[in-house]
Amino acid sequence: MLNILKSTAAALIGAGLGLYATWSALERDAGFEIVQVGPWRSTPKAAFAAADPYTRAALARNAQVPLSPGEGLMFTADIDETGAPLLTRCDYILTSPIPAARFWTLTPMTSRGALAPTGNDRTGLTSAEIVRDSMGRFEIVASAQLRPGNWLALPTEPGFMLALRLYDTPASSLASSMSVGQLPRLRRGRCI
Amino acid sequence: MSDRTLGWFIYLLAVLVVAGLVHIVTILALPHVATRDSYARLATIAQTNRFTPLPSPVPGAELLPMQDPAVVRGVCRYDVNNGPVRVRAEIAGLDGLLTLSFHDRRGASFYATTDRGGVRGRIDVVLLTRIQLEALEALDAEDEPPQELRLLAPTREGFVLTGSLALDPGDFDAARGRLSSISCAQENLRRQ
Repeated sequence: MLNILKSTAAALIGAGLGLYATWSALERDAGFEIVQVGPWRSTPKAAFAAADPYTRAALARNAQVPLSPGEGLMFTADIDETGAPLLTRCDYILTSPIPAARFWTLTPMTSRGALAPTGNDRTGLTSAEIVRDSMGRFEIVASAQLRPGNWLALPTEPGFMLALRLYDTPASSLASSMSVGQLPRLRRGRCI
Repeated sequence: MSDRTLGWFIYLLAVLVVAGLVHIVTILALPHVATRDSYARLATIAQTNRFTPLPSPVPGAELLPMQDPAVVRGVCRYDVNNGPVRVRAEIAGLDGLLTLSFHDRRGASFYATTDRGGVRGRIDVVLLTRIQLEALEALDAEDEPPQELRLLAPTREGFVLTGSLALDPGDFDAARGRLSSISCAQENLRRQ
C-alpha cells in the first residue's frame, strides 16, 4: 500500500516537473539554433519544418510565422552592446553598417515582442527613410523624446526590444557566420 | 548504502525519468495539439483558396505576433483536397518589395520568394498533391515546358503569407495596391 502511494507520488511529481520544464523552456524561447552577434539575436532556420523541437513548439504556441530565408532575415535585440537591458528612459545610438539588403526596417516593440504604441503614428523606420552622409553611413537615435536626424520613436513602457528585418538579403544564408562588425552598433546615450 | 537510502534513490530516479519523458512528449506533441497556432488564427478571417488581405497590425490587436508593421499582409489559405491551387502575382512594372512564403498546416515554410524571383513578369506557383501532379503532367504538351512552378504541398491544407513593404507612412496605399496583384484560386484539373 505504501509502495503504491510512493509510486503515485513519484509519477505526479515527475509529471509536474516535466510540465514545468516544458513551460519554462517555452517562456525562455529555448532553441538550439539561436545566432547571437553582439546584442543581435536571430533564429535563421526557425521557419523550416526541420527547426529544432523547442523552436517548433514555441512557434505553435505563440503563432509566430518567422521570415523564411527566401524573404529575409530578422534580428532582435533586447540588450545594448555592453549587455545592459534596453530601457526607454535612455537614448540609444544605432550606427551603420547594416548587412547588404534590398530593404530593411527597424521596429521597436515591448520587451515581450508585442507592437507598442509610441505616442505618434510612426511604428518604425525603413531603409528608404534614413538620411545618410556622403559615405553612405548613418546614425539612428532611438529615444522616447523627439530627436533631430534619424529618430526612432520608442514606446512608453520601461523596457523595449528592437527588431531589425533585412529583406531580400544574401545574409539569410550567412547568418550563422556573421561577426559583430557586420551588424549595427547599439550604444547607450543619455538617460533621464 | 542502506536499503532505506536505496529505496529513496529509486523513487528519485523514477521522478526524474517521468519528468524527462513528460517534458519530451509535451514538447514534441505541442505543434500537433496547439489550437491557437498561426493556421488556426488565419482561419478565423481567411476563406480557403481565396486571397484575403489581413488587417494592419495595431498595438494590442495583432493577428500574428512579431509581424513587421511596415509590411502590408495578405493570406491565401490553401486546401488541395479538391484540386490544385494556383497562386499568382503579376509583378511586371511593380516597384517595391513583394514577398510570398508558403507554409504547411503547422506553419513551417516550404518555399519562399520575392518579386525578384519572378519569371516573365509574374510569380506563378501551383500547389498540388503527388496524384494531381501526375495527372497534370499527363496533360502537358510534350514540346512545351510548363510555365508555372509546381510545388507538392507537404500537407493538404496550409497557407501562403504574402507581404508588401511600405517604405514610409505615405506608401501604405501603394503597398496595398501591390498586394492586389496577387490571386489565389483552385484549378480545375479536367479543363486543363
